[in-house]
Amino acid sequence: MSPEWQSSPPATNYGVDELMITTLADLFHNDDQVCNGMASFIPVAAFMLARLTHAPELIWLASAAGLDPRPERVPASTLEAPLWRDSVMYLEQYGDFWNYALNGRWIEKFCVGAAQLDQYGNANNSVIGDDYHAPKVRLPGTAGLADMGSIGKKLYYWNPDHSQRSMVEKVDFISAAGYLDGGDARKRLGLEGGPQMVISNLAVMDFHPESKKMRVQSLHPGVTVDKVQDATGFELLMPDGAIPETRPPSKAQVKLIREVIDPDDMRKRGFRTD
Amino acid sequence: MREKITSLVEAAELVRDNDVVALQNMATQAAPMALVRELIRQQKRGLGLVVLVGGMAVDWLAAAGAINRLIGAAVTMEQFGLCQQYRRAVEDGRIRVEELSETLLNARLGAGARNLPFLPTRGAIGTDLIALNPDNLKLIEDPFGGHQVLACRALVPDVALVHAHRADRYGNVQSEPTILWPDIGIMPKAAKHVIVTTEKIVDTEVLRRNPDRTILPGFIVDAVVEVPYGAHPTSLFPYYSYDSDFHRAWAEAARDDEKAASFMDRYVRSPATQQEYLEAAGGTTMLERLEYREQRG
Repeated sequence: MSPEWQSSPPATNYGVDELMITTLADLFHNDDQVCNGMASFIPVAAFMLARLTHAPELIWLASAAGLDPRPERVPASTLEAPLWRDSVMYLEQYGDFWNYALNGRWIEKFCVGAAQLDQYGNANNSVIGDDYHAPKVRLPGTAGLADMGSIGKKLYYWNPDHSQRSMVEKVDFISAAGYLDGGDARKRLGLEGGPQMVISNLAVMDFHPESKKMRVQSLHPGVTVDKVQDATGFELLMPDGAIPETRPPSKAQVKLIREVIDPDDMRKRGFRTD
Repeated sequence: MREKITSLVEAAELVRDNDVVALQNMATQAAPMALVRELIRQQKRGLGLVVLVGGMAVDWLAAAGAINRLIGAAVTMEQFGLCQQYRRAVEDGRIRVEELSETLLNARLGAGARNLPFLPTRGAIGTDLIALNPDNLKLIEDPFGGHQVLACRALVPDVALVHAHRADRYGNVQSEPTILWPDIGIMPKAAKHVIVTTEKIVDTEVLRRNPDRTILPGFIVDAVVEVPYGAHPTSLFPYYSYDSDFHRAWAEAARDDEKAASFMDRYVRSPATQQEYLEAAGGTTMLERLEYREQRG
């Protein structure tokens, strides 16, 4: 890869999907190991971008199983071939992947989506409604997320549809532990790690170090405080001082995403088109 | 070694009403779909399913009224969306879900396989999965003085259903190089009985050439059935991809009970043989389309 991405000027023509990919990609470095789950086009594109630019040695486990894959481009499924094309190793899941994931030394960061996230970063992919056994909506289920939330991982949530539906005061069901009811609740259970950031189509958020309430870290270009607050089902904390603007993608990053990584626009799935 | 070859009909007859059935099926991958269709033709009732990530197989069994409970980590057809028939059955209270995360399910099955009362994990501590399931999950003290761990009670399914690349007549099962999920890594080892469908039954001499690719020993297998394209419309890497058109057609039909029923009549109940099913689903033209090339999925 030519080094031009390092000096490339900010793009003026880009989509919020591309902004989310570049923001996520910045979080992954050469010493990290990362893995992806189902329908994870944004994280997969971010891993591929990081590997093509600042983190060529980033270790990626495609579908949490295919070591160091070389897919030609982002495919229609992130849980199927050809995502794991040219892998160095297939990690058998039961006896192998989870050994590495549960051991605290590796795979420190996990990037994932959730149907609902609350002000303390608790996540719900299980049911909408009060009655678990007769829910309004039966969601897919927690899969490996409930594990990742409790075994010391740093969690990075991505949300292509920041709304009062997806950003709620209290999740209907805790499928993955965030900071529970805030403060030191998580620590009291002996849980390390936890949600670090939420990257939505409107803003980047982190969590207040003491209260563990969700806090705006930066607003995407053109997004106002009112807009992101109106789209959130709880009161967002604001950072001290002026609110930064999320750094837009560079021209070179956008070109890589559109022409090399994801020419089939898989990354746009999950985003509203209106 | 004892011969295990049988027919699809006889293999499915080994599954009894009300059994707990562990089913290989990773969203759009590697489900023993021919066997699932035969279970539906035999009008099984009251089954419990154990899945890591169930897909169309779960939706069909739900649509057929064959299942009333599910133990699993997720049910989804990934890019083709939620399993609508299953979803509605859960929302109406017709299917009861014991949701487990992956390490919880693995721990329950691992304990089942090893004849232990439970295995512990640190997964899911702090979630609502625990309070929901007091019969099978309990926080316990670490006897060695560390933080609490979650004890996951042994799960022993009555039968595990898997589909694989090849097997011999004795039920020794071999896989091409591919990603092996807990569906094969632990489910058959925990279950009381194992039924295998396979693309091809080969001579044992073929298996002897690559013993490192043998993933299940015949002595744990009760029945083996040769069913070419037995995972269709799910994928069997590296032989064939998932059938996108078929998944889309089902996902559309499944939104409406009548359309779902007529889809099931056409593709599940009417075809008497695997050959008839494959013809109904598009025949050789369809099968050629699913061959792995450098296709993009």
